Amino acid sequence: MTAHSPSPTSAESDDSTGSDWRLPLEDGIVAVVKESCPTCRLVAPVLAQLAQSGVQLAVYTQDDLSFPPGISPVDDTELEASYRLRIEAVPTLLRIEGGKEIDRLSGWSRSAWETFTGIPDLGPGLPEYRPGCGSRSVEPGIAEDLEIQYGGSRLQARRITVAAMEDEIESCFQRGWTDGLPVVPPSPQRVLRMLAGTSRDPDEVVAAVPPDLVPCTVEKVAINAVMAGCRPEYLPVVIAALEAACTDRFNLHGVLATTYSVGPAVIVNGPIRRAIGMNSGINVLGQGNRSNATIGRALQLVVRNVGGGRPGEVDRATLGNPGKYTFCFAEDEEGSPWEPLSVERGLLEGTSAVTLFAGEGPRTIFDQLSRKPDALARSFAACLRSVAHPKLARDYEAIVVVSPEHGRVFREGGWSKKRLRQEILDMLVIPGEELVRGAGGIMEGMPTAETLPKFLPDRLWFVHAGGPAGLFSSIIGSWVAGEAGSQPVTQEVQS
Amino acid sequence: MTERLLLDPTSERASSRRERVPRPSTLEGLTVGLLDIAKYRGDVFLDRIEELLTARGLQVVRFRKPTFTKVCPPGLGRDITSRADVVVEALAD
Amino acid sequence: MTALEEQGIPGVIVASSEFRDAARYQAQSLGFEPVCVFVPHPIQDRTDQEIRDLADAAMDEILKSLTVTDSEQQA
Repeated sequence: MTAHSPSPTSAESDDSTGSDWRLPLEDGIVAVVKESCPTCRLVAPVLAQLAQSGVQLAVYTQDDLSFPPGISPVDDTELEASYRLRIEAVPTLLRIEGGKEIDRLSGWSRSAWETFTGIPDLGPGLPEYRPGCGSRSVEPGIAEDLEIQYGGSRLQARRITVAAMEDEIESCFQRGWTDGLPVVPPSPQRVLRMLAGTSRDPDEVVAAVPPDLVPCTVEKVAINAVMAGCRPEYLPVVIAALEAACTDRFNLHGVLATTYSVGPAVIVNGPIRRAIGMNSGINVLGQGNRSNATIGRALQLVVRNVGGGRPGEVDRATLGNPGKYTFCFAEDEEGSPWEPLSVERGLLEGTSAVTLFAGEGPRTIFDQLSRKPDALARSFAACLRSVAHPKLARDYEAIVVVSPEHGRVFREGGWSKKRLRQEILDMLVIPGEELVRGAGGIMEGMPTAETLPKFLPDRLWFVHAGGPAGLFSSIIGSWVAGEAGSQPVTQEVQS
Repeated sequence: MTERLLLDPTSERASSRRERVPRPSTLEGLTVGLLDIAKYRGDVFLDRIEELLTARGLQVVRFRKPTFTKVCPPGLGRDITSRADVVVEALAD
Repeated sequence: MTALEEQGIPGVIVASSEFRDAARYQAQSLGFEPVCVFVPHPIQDRTDQEIRDLADAAMDEILKSLTVTDSEQQA
C-alpha cells in the first residue's frame, strides 16, 4: 500500500516571504531523502513499512522521483521544501502536528525511529544505526542560490538589473560605484557569501556614514566589501573600521571635506591579522596583499557609495594621496620591541582591533648610520619637524612606522616606546622666533613667537612594521589634530 | 549572456534608472551634429534636415560612419563629441 | 548611439517605423533606451522629394527630442 498523495494544508513555512509553499500534511510525519544517499536507500523499506502501518506520511525526494520505490514521493528536486524546512541532513524525519513541526531527527537509528514514530520493529535486518548524508540544499553554491530564490527578503538592497548585452564590470563603472579601478560586481550570491563572514544580522545598522549621514547596514557594508574584493573573513574588520571612522572623534566628514591630503588609514592589531593573512612585513605599506588591499578599499567604497563622499563633490582635496584608494596594514607585533599600538591605546593584549588615523601619504626616514638610540631618535625628530610644515607646531599628529632594523636599535639600546616618544617630544620644542610667521623669509608659520612643542604628548605614535632589511622608517602625518580636526580611534573587531 | 542581478551598494537615494544625458533647454548657440549611419537614403534625409536647421540659424556639422555594419570608430566618436553639442543619427530601418 | 551618450553627448536616432520593435529589444538587452523619432516606412523606394518631405514632417519632433521643455525639467 502506498501513502496516498496528500493535499497541501494551510501549514505555514518559517520563512514568510508570501510564497505558496505549504507542508504537505497537517498531522503526521514528513521525511526528506535523496536517492544518492546510502542511508536513505537503506531506510527506503522502513518508509514503506511506516506507510503500510497507517502513519500519515509524506516523503520529499531531493533528486530522484522514482525514489523511494513503492511510495509516491513529493517532488523536491527544486529544493524549496528542503530550504524552507532547513533540512541539513538526509534522511530527516519531521513530526508535524496542527501544521507545525514539533520534532525532528536525522540519520537512521532503529530505537530513535521507533520512539519517534511510535511504530515498533522497524527495519528488521537493518543495522542498529547509520549516520545520514548532507542534504542537497546545503551544498556550497546551492545553499546560496536557494537563499536568494526563496529567502530573498533577507537581502534588502535594491536589485539592479544588468541587461543581457551589458558587461557587468562596465556597468559598475557607469553607475559611478567604483574608485576608478574595476570592482567585483556585487551579485546576490557573492553578497550572501560575504555575509557569512559575520554573525551580525544583515539589517543591523553599523553607523551613519558621512557626509550624507545615511544609516549603513551590515548588508551594505557586505556589498561594498564584495566590490572591494574582500573575502568573507575580512568583513568584521571592515565593519570595525567603519564604526571607528564614523565616530565624532574621527570626524570623517571633516577628513573628507578638507582640501588637505588625508584619508582614513587603518592599522590592525591582534590575532585577526594572522587569521586573515594580513601583511606586516616586506612592502607593508605597498601593494600585493589581498587583506591589506581590500579592507582599506572597502571602507573607501562605503564612504563613496553609502555616505556619498566622492571626489569633486564633498571631497574637494587639492591633491589627495594614493592612500585614498586603500590604506590598511597590520602591525608586526611579534618582532616589535614594544607593546602593540592597540595596547598602548587601552585595549588588552590579544584583542583584535583597528585604529583609524587621518593620514597623508607616508614619507620615508632614511638613516643607515645611527646605531645608537639617541642618534636615531634625533634623525626621527629632524624628519618629524617637517610634518605639515617645519614652522607649524602643536596642531598636528603623526605615526612613525618603525622598521625592524630601526626597531632593533631601540631594543638593543633598551629604549621603551615611552622613552622614545619623550625624547623626541623634548627634541622638538621649537623656539618661537623660528616658528613665527615671517621668520626665515617664510610667511607661513605660527601666529606668535611663542615657543611650542611640535607635537603634544598624545599626538605622536609608533607602530612596528616592515621587512627585515632596510634602515628606513616612515612618517604618516595627519590632518589637524584634536577636536577641531580628527583624532585617532581604536575599535575592537567583533565577529 | 542573460540578465543578471546586482545589489545596489549605494544609499539608494538616487534613482536606479540609467538616466539619459541631460538635454539642453534650447539649441540656440549650439552646434548640431548630423551623423549619417550609411544606410540608404540617409544622406538625402540629412541634407534636408541640414537645410532646415541652417534656416533656423543653427550651426550644423556633418559626419558619416564608414559602414553601417560596424560600430562608430573611436576617432569618429571623439570627433563628434568635440565638434557637436547634440547629434541626430539617421536613417535606421 | 549609446556609445555617444556614454561620452556625454545627447542625441536622437531617426528610424523607420519598422525599427520600433528592434529598438525596444535593443534597449532591453543594452539596458538603455535611446531617444527615437520614427518616420513612416518605407524608406528605400521613395523619391528624393518624398524623403525631403519626411524630413520636414519629422523636424519638430527631432527638435523637441534634442531639448528639454520647461515641464520636463526636474529638480
